[in-house]
Amino acid sequence: MSAVEIKSVVKVFNQGRADEVLALSDVDLTVGVGEFVSLIGPSGCGKSTLLRLIADLIPATTGTVTVAGKPAGQARREQAYGLAFQQAGLFEWRTVRRNVELPLELRGIGRAERRARAEEMLALVGLAEFAGHYPGQLSGGMQQRVAIARALAVQPPLLLMDEPFGALDEMTRERLQSELLSICAKTGTSTVFVTHSISEAVFLSDRVVVMSARPGRITAAIEVGLPSRDEAARQSPAFFDRITEVRRALRGAPLASEATN
Amino acid sequence: MRRVLAVLAGLLTFAVLWEGYKAVGSPDGTVLFGVRILPRADDLSMPHLLTVLRRLGRPELAGGDPVWLVVLRACLFTLGITAAGFAAGALVGLLLAVAMQRFRIVERGLLPYVVLSQTVPLVALAPLVAGWGGSIMPPWATVAVIAAYLAFFPIAVGMLRGLQSPPAAGVELLRSYAAGWWRTLVKLRFPASLPYLFPALRLAGAAAVVGAVVGEISTGTRGGIGRLIIEYSREATSDPAKVYTAMLGAALLGLLVAGAVSLLEMPLMRHRRHVEVATL
Repeated sequence: MSAVEIKSVVKVFNQGRADEVLALSDVDLTVGVGEFVSLIGPSGCGKSTLLRLIADLIPATTGTVTVAGKPAGQARREQAYGLAFQQAGLFEWRTVRRNVELPLELRGIGRAERRARAEEMLALVGLAEFAGHYPGQLSGGMQQRVAIARALAVQPPLLLMDEPFGALDEMTRERLQSELLSICAKTGTSTVFVTHSISEAVFLSDRVVVMSARPGRITAAIEVGLPSRDEAARQSPAFFDRITEVRRALRGAPLASEATN
Repeated sequence: MRRVLAVLAGLLTFAVLWEGYKAVGSPDGTVLFGVRILPRADDLSMPHLLTVLRRLGRPELAGGDPVWLVVLRACLFTLGITAAGFAAGALVGLLLAVAMQRFRIVERGLLPYVVLSQTVPLVALAPLVAGWGGSIMPPWATVAVIAAYLAFFPIAVGMLRGLQSPPAAGVELLRSYAAGWWRTLVKLRFPASLPYLFPALRLAGAAAVVGAVVGEISTGTRGGIGRLIIEYSREATSDPAKVYTAMLGAALLGLLVAGAVSLLEMPLMRHRRHVEVATL
């Protein structure tokens, strides 16, 4: 069973109206269990739309979306995934701990266990001592780490992230990338990660899925296969080779290794 | 401490302006081309502040209770009406806002009438309410209804904006947690609306005081500060300081209601950003 299975999905916004938009045309994608897949492409290529289809925030016009072997709607109701956006979107009236507890509260988990789980997640993102702070007292990078802790709180088998590091500075971004990788490795979480950044996609992913706009579709899928993912990997020739490969795919140049799926 | 000083400075400024104008202004006012542009400064129109304060200590009528006690009692009576009207108005405003948030069609259909309701002159409405309500409820309750009629409006409008204030990402987050409308309301929309609710409550408090005072006057209800203002103003020619004591009472009532809202606000809004809210 795969973590996500998308079969011939089409998404049309404002169907039947003058401002009808074909956002996604005939998309197929499979994400394996424990796999880290990045979606990359120009603005308006439908990568966020695809993510929101997986999350069942919007319905597909045609085609099927399966998450962990279940229809996307059922997976959402069972909280089979965690979600993080570009804006941390923390509730400013809740302390950091209570923000992380929110998804657990909605699952009806008891107070003591909620607290223990939230503290465990905060320790995972290195914010244990900030549990009692309010979001307004944290930096942007720290807020984003809280948002990741919140997404992980229900220990979902799948993590969906829409440019979670997009609003951060380069240094914070690289540190959080490493943290995210170690968390995913520790928890065995599968991840679908939307990004604008080629280097980010290559560094994080097992596979980079390249999309193009108008209509949004998948044009290439590039296996990354870096031997390691540490600071040395960022300097390695293999890393730069993959970056070049993704860049070419984004420009639409034909490539020998290009395998459309 | 600084706030206390600011309040004292404000009072002092007012006293200086009042007495200063009395000292330099013409007793007959300033008339330009037949239009009075500055008020009369004589003792009849603008009694000395000290006279007003002294009047508070003297009996209302020969041998009666001192004026301050009469004013205080009237204030307490009107405070009760204001509180009842405020609570009822807040409840109605809240329910309307929730209904308008829940159903777009209700918002479209109802909001124009909510706005329209406030353009009906209160003086025209009050006798109607007294007429209808007089048979089923005591006079103070009809006055409370009038106060509620003014108070519900800022709350309905402000609260609606507050309930609609969470960004789409927040709503989607709750959807991703499989939370329905009710839990989204409780966990997200209500807490997010607090910065909008409190300014609205403050406006509603002031409106409830005005509603209660005007309601007392136009329904002829006895015992409150509105009635007292009318009674004392009849004596304005012989005892000009007296009517100002009643007005002082009405002003204090407004401050009291605003203070009560602030007391409610302080613990709830400690870690919150404040937003600018215009409800009209």
